Amino acid sequence: MNLLRHELRLLARQRLTVFALALLTCLTVAALAAGMAEVARQRAAIAAIPAAQAEDIGAVAAWIDAKKDAGSAAYYSFHPTWDAPAPLAFAALGMRDVSPYILRIRALGLEAQIWDGDTFNPELALPGRFDFAFVLVFLAPLFVIALFHDLRSGEREAGRGRMLDALPGALALWRRRTGLRLALLFAALALPFTVAAVVEGVAWGTILAVLLVVMAYLLFWIAVAALIGRLRWSSVANAASLAATWLVLVLIVPTLANVAVNAALPVNQGAEIAMAQREAVNRAWDIPREETMRRFYARHPEWADSAPLGPAFHYKWYLAFHQNGDESVAGRVRTYRAGLEQRDAAGRALGWVLPSVGVQALLTRLARTDFAAQLAYQDRIRAFHRRLRTFYYAYLFRDRPFAKADFARAPRFGDVPNG
Amino acid sequence: MSAATLIARDELRLLRRNRVAVIATTLLVLLTLVAVATSWAHQRGIADLRMRYQQGADRAFEAQPDRHPHRVVHYGTFIFRPLGPLAAFDPGVDAFTGNSMFLEGHRQNSANFGDVRQSSLLVRFGQLTPAFVLQIVAPLLLIFLGYGALARERERGTLRLLMLQGVSRRSLVGGKLLALGAVALVAALPALIAFVAMAGQPGALALPMLVTAIGYLTYLALWTAVILLVSATVRRSRDALLALVALWAVTAVLLPRVVPDMASAAVPLRNRLQTDVAIARDLRRIGDSHNPADPHFAAFKQSVLDRYGVTRVEDLPVNYKGVVGMEGERLTSSLFARYTGESYAAQDRQIALVDAAGVLSPTIALRALSMAAAGTDFAGHRRFLDQAEAYRYALVQRLNRMQAEDVSYADDTAEDVGADRRKRVSATNWSAMPDFSFDRASGTDLARGALPGLAMVVGWLGGVLVLLALATRRLGERR
Repeated sequence: MNLLRHELRLLARQRLTVFALALLTCLTVAALAAGMAEVARQRAAIAAIPAAQAEDIGAVAAWIDAKKDAGSAAYYSFHPTWDAPAPLAFAALGMRDVSPYILRIRALGLEAQIWDGDTFNPELALPGRFDFAFVLVFLAPLFVIALFHDLRSGEREAGRGRMLDALPGALALWRRRTGLRLALLFAALALPFTVAAVVEGVAWGTILAVLLVVMAYLLFWIAVAALIGRLRWSSVANAASLAATWLVLVLIVPTLANVAVNAALPVNQGAEIAMAQREAVNRAWDIPREETMRRFYARHPEWADSAPLGPAFHYKWYLAFHQNGDESVAGRVRTYRAGLEQRDAAGRALGWVLPSVGVQALLTRLARTDFAAQLAYQDRIRAFHRRLRTFYYAYLFRDRPFAKADFARAPRFGDVPNG
Repeated sequence: MSAATLIARDELRLLRRNRVAVIATTLLVLLTLVAVATSWAHQRGIADLRMRYQQGADRAFEAQPDRHPHRVVHYGTFIFRPLGPLAAFDPGVDAFTGNSMFLEGHRQNSANFGDVRQSSLLVRFGQLTPAFVLQIVAPLLLIFLGYGALARERERGTLRLLMLQGVSRRSLVGGKLLALGAVALVAALPALIAFVAMAGQPGALALPMLVTAIGYLTYLALWTAVILLVSATVRRSRDALLALVALWAVTAVLLPRVVPDMASAAVPLRNRLQTDVAIARDLRRIGDSHNPADPHFAAFKQSVLDRYGVTRVEDLPVNYKGVVGMEGERLTSSLFARYTGESYAAQDRQIALVDAAGVLSPTIALRALSMAAAGTDFAGHRRFLDQAEAYRYALVQRLNRMQAEDVSYADDTAEDVGADRRKRVSATNWSAMPDFSFDRASGTDLARGALPGLAMVVGWLGGVLVLLALATRRLGERR
């Protein structure tokens, strides 16, 4: 214990070390604050939905009530969906800045709606977010380099290297020094994080998992520093080669891999889905309406006993061809999604050999801000959309009037179970 | 041969003998070549794909059968954003903005299917482009090669020897500057050659390319000068290296991320849901087209009747439903213009905040310059969005006018068995509609957009050169 305190005093005399640790703590705190502020903004935007929605749907209900027409209600009512941030989202914002977390949908063709995005500034999204994951993945290794590049070479250059190695407790000395530096770096990252995570109500298991990831990532970089240290180069050569390693592992290989993954796993552009769906939907106006209904009833026999169409426009035909349109591109949607999932899997697979990517993948998974979380949100939207259709069809296909009170009976997204 | 040239040659010889330096430089050149090749192939692929899709969408539009014009308003059209040749050098926001847009009546859709939502998590680590290599990687290489240029001489005592032999401080620093500058040129060369190749592409513009080339060369010269400045002022070469790497990490990696985050917190954007609800609210305030007794639409109807001197819409020489359609589109589009205008203004304010931070980080300034000259910044995307909206409005109003003039009111309101047939207009009309063609920014406009960034990078270089001159005068003094 005494020895450890002594080492700590030695460390405290190094201006570089003290400065680096203080800076890392500041950056961690700033990144956590930025992440928490962003998540708070997203929560506020979600909390603001009911008021806006009540106003919007109230106005629709007011004029539809005169006609009591379920078709107009289905056509003009937008229903909000949202993807609330998970407690850990503040630490790794992942895709939440470029994928929508609020989307309003109607009971019409879903494929024309589900790929829509929200408003964001692309120039701000381009460099990536400043969050805890960034501090850990990109910056923490630089601090490891600053603290470890001269761990042994520094003593050697000061002429104490041989003497220290000749001492009886030499191994323990290096372990003590390594452990102390590791503990300080870990504390600079982990203490602010833990406080923030507790404030945000993250489960203890998740906090522990993140702390383990932090520790493992730091250990990886310390191991790299130790490996390069064994070459017995000068401090400055150590620093240069460590920084070069960092550049390659954190910046260059991931970007190269991105090019490789996208080239190896081509996906058809999603625009094809949108265009095919629109052709299918609009064709309905040019073919006999009975054909549309036959096809719809064949897939959805539960509505087949509905009254036959008259010469006038009927919304059940309109909604039926929208659903036919969705179903005609279901195969394309599956292929597109499978392609995206393959790309995502390839990216994450790289994480097994590239710690920088692995840590990013793990953190965004724990924070539910990764691609899988986006897909899960899409699945919930699809489930909700099915409910919406069933809800309106029960009026349309049975020719029941849709009164003001019926608007309140519409399914709510909050009731859809989490995928 | 002057002393400065001799020193430069000596320094270069030393670098050539340094195996690590040679390997690092070779790797950088290779990386640049890979970046150029993949980025160019990627850009060509995208350009071809979008052109094919655009042609397909145009063909589909023209191949429509006889249709009621309002059907075509909702059939809409797809447009794809074309890329300029310089996008292969710096694709900017292209991956982050959707590249296709569905245009239809009464709605303003978002641009969808951007690469960022179609790629793995790796895309957020950055994109391997020539711009990325020169902005981020090249300075670090120069740091590795140059941190010791002066600090090493001082550390080993050779600085004093050189000065005793009568080498002036200016020629010493000048020589080192020359040597490291030559390395910087080598590092930039592959990108510059690719640049010349891109200049041969159709649509390549000389002025923005010139500004980009000057910008990048100034940026590399700036880093060369910064490296020598730190190497001249710091006592030990290890301190020089650490200080330079820290400086690089802050200006090239940290600030470009922190500043946009601060900007987006400082200027919030209204999300789509709130915008849509607000537009619907404003529309209701103007008038409710569903309500036959609504004052706005009653007055509008009266004005139309008065204009034609009739008392009933049935007596109008035009189809009143088409006329109302035009009025409705005019109202919704003016509201779209107002709300997107507000959103663009907010985004411009955010970007102005980030650009101002070019004072803190030359990398931010260079990035702004580079994207602006390539036409791949937000302004370039907005140019596409503005033209898309103008095209959408013109198309929808043409179709509404067609409904007013070519479909009779009696047919349009009839519900008998043959009515559907009578409501349709001939399919020959669809090919007469003009296709969307993107009007690219002129070279002068692109270059003008890049000027603020260029001014900042040049300002940085000037400032650092002054500091370097001051440091040179005190080089080798006892402290």
